[in-house]
Amino acid sequence: MKLRLFAAALPTALACAIIGLSSPTPAEARIKLATLPDREAVAVRFDHPNQVLVEEERTIALQAGVNNIDFSWAGTNIDKGSIVFRPAAADSKVEILSTSYPPGENALTWAVSSPDARSEKFRISYLMGNIQRETSYQAMVSKDETTCSFKHYFKIRNWSGESFAEADFITRDGKKFEKALSQGEAKRVLVNKWDNVKIKKEYVYDLTRQYEGKVLTDYVLVNSKDIGLGQIPLEFGKVRIYQDDGKGTAAFTGEDWGRFTPIGDEMRLNIGTAQDIKVEFKKMVNDVTNRRGNVYDTDELDQYEIKNFKDSEVILTLVLRVDGEWEMMKDASGFESFERMDNETVKFRVKCPPKGAPVLLKFHYQRKDVW
Amino acid sequence: MNYCSRWLWALMLAVLAAPALQAKEELVTLPKRDTVQLTIYNSVDLTLVQETRTLSFKKGNNRLQFSWAQTLIDPTSVEFRALTQGDKLEVLDTSYPAESNEMLIWTISAEADVSARVEISYFTSGLTWSAQYVGMLAADEASMTLTAYVSVTNRSGEEYENAQVRLVVGSINLVEKINQLAGGERERYKRDAEGEMRRATRESAGKKDIVKEGLSEYYIYTVGGTETIPHGWSKRLESFVQAGVPVSTVYTYDARKYGAGLTKLLTFKNNVEHKLGKEPLPEGTVRLYRTMGGNALSYVGEVATPYIAKNDEIKVNAGADAEVTMKLTRLGLEKKDLAFRRWGGRAEDQSLEGWTTVEDFKLEVKNFRNKDVRFEINLVFGGDFDFDSSAEASKVDFQTRRFAQELKAGSSTQIAFKLTTRNGTNVKNR
Repeated sequence: MKLRLFAAALPTALACAIIGLSSPTPAEARIKLATLPDREAVAVRFDHPNQVLVEEERTIALQAGVNNIDFSWAGTNIDKGSIVFRPAAADSKVEILSTSYPPGENALTWAVSSPDARSEKFRISYLMGNIQRETSYQAMVSKDETTCSFKHYFKIRNWSGESFAEADFITRDGKKFEKALSQGEAKRVLVNKWDNVKIKKEYVYDLTRQYEGKVLTDYVLVNSKDIGLGQIPLEFGKVRIYQDDGKGTAAFTGEDWGRFTPIGDEMRLNIGTAQDIKVEFKKMVNDVTNRRGNVYDTDELDQYEIKNFKDSEVILTLVLRVDGEWEMMKDASGFESFERMDNETVKFRVKCPPKGAPVLLKFHYQRKDVW
Repeated sequence: MNYCSRWLWALMLAVLAAPALQAKEELVTLPKRDTVQLTIYNSVDLTLVQETRTLSFKKGNNRLQFSWAQTLIDPTSVEFRALTQGDKLEVLDTSYPAESNEMLIWTISAEADVSARVEISYFTSGLTWSAQYVGMLAADEASMTLTAYVSVTNRSGEEYENAQVRLVVGSINLVEKINQLAGGERERYKRDAEGEMRRATRESAGKKDIVKEGLSEYYIYTVGGTETIPHGWSKRLESFVQAGVPVSTVYTYDARKYGAGLTKLLTFKNNVEHKLGKEPLPEGTVRLYRTMGGNALSYVGEVATPYIAKNDEIKVNAGADAEVTMKLTRLGLEKKDLAFRRWGGRAEDQSLEGWTTVEDFKLEVKNFRNKDVRFEINLVFGGDFDFDSSAEASKVDFQTRRFAQELKAGSSTQIAFKLTTRNGTNVKNR
């Protein structure tokens, strides 16, 4: 005769299955006999971008006929509607007849029909809230800034109300690691490490990213096998960048958010500002032409004076914007190449000699039919 | 004594011949329910209860008292009908005692001493049902096993023991809400009805069949056997299971419905080609999981779907998939056909009143996945425009154009289109 084992036997394990073995009891009965099958395997899956799916297996001793299996989850954040309960074996003879939900409780009862007395393994799957995940990376850049070792970390924090004594945690790309994770506990795991990943360093003056006239220093790595990556899509996450100082120690050189980078795409990481490259902007011409009532054209010359105080030549990329209908004039000068990225955006590559020798980018353009 | 009548409502047959209303003492019998049938509507909070009882009548006038304390029964809906001996029984009047809002007394005239089966029917609120669907997608997401469930929830205040349950799919019209006619929601006491749930479940040995039949504009689902659902409880039963339902995945851009970026929509139809279509699917929640190796699952997405008629389509939003991307770039802008209103000969004696813009766009779709995908991109434009594209586009409505294509694994495609928009006096037919 039991005793409300549910509360007594489960001080911390909050989700559990109880199989009722009692004969039919009258409505008033408060006593029931129950067994508490242990979890045999637990998997916590992170393959959905916003949801965490928990799957657990339990072996339950069934009697011939209809058995009632109680499942309750007081104190945990399980999405009741998401619970899927099924025999683990695809060809099982056991049938789930119905699911009943008592009023005002985080609980349900499955009615399970078994052809004979047997032990049957069941799998229970449900979405669980308040398990936070975080992807982060660490790049250790070589002294010459051409390669890096790239480490991929996965961090989980468990606020679900449930403790996992032993569970397989499975990342989006199928990496599995087995850990115990208590309520309130966080764990960070190295899931991937790639060495000799090729990187490109770029200096960028980009008016779509900042307005203060600073030159940004970026590392660019393409998620491809050519450069040593390309095995999995890289999840969004913070990338901390360190550089080998050539003396056996490393210095932290900056961090940035790495956007989700599918295989074949590039990840651009800003590590900070290049203080040795200065860009000074002046508007040299700003004339109105061809006025027709309230409509006019313009003639504009934007000049960028660039000084590279480094000891070696660098290439500076300038990303500039002009709104409306416009065209670049043929006498624009001072650049190696340019690309009109879209109607409003143009990208110039400017070769900058060392030791502060100035170079002038003259961006001459006309706007048409402004009003 | 009927188990539930002790606490909720009762039917009492006075064995004393009428008139006896002034009597202070009465001897009554409490005939139990023989059968009870619940017809539950899901579009409104309405259930038709039809119960049968066998009653003995004495020759002359008999008083039959029916009461429904602590329930949500609509008093105006209570009806009495003799199923047998109808030619010998007649309802003379129905009185509603002043001291109780939850009771009525029928005076029934019997031509002889008879035993008759009678039906008492009424509307109640608080019994509801809903549908749920769970789809288990194959690993390639090309097909699924779809299981449909119906859940019945009893908050009516009454326990209907061993009731035949019928569920109505469809939308009926009511001019007043039943729970208002019943006097509104009342405070009810809780009961531990778990034992009854267990007993009821044990009595049913196998899985229930749910028979679906059409009736006028409605569908009626009849649950096999009988059910006991105590007050406060819900019960979910399997309605049908269908394996091998083909599912197509379409990456869809429709900013008005799904926001920015491509949204992964899993689509199937309630028709014969999809091994469904036997009946409409009532509104409910569709949840999709993908089966992985070893019977493991992966959560895909869910949608609250409205009523799905036969041959209609269901789209489940599985969210964004960062491995299929689209980028729309405006490459060029040109203004032309400028029209001016003039009021003098000088250059400044004019003002713009009409113009046309010509914009060149590039739409790039990339598939970083290792499987072929299908995309559908719906672009909405305002005003008086002409649209010309390098790829075939279909007209969805007067302002929406759609590109729909297959995209091989690991490939990308670029579509160029030109949008010419007339403004001001250049608008045609203004």
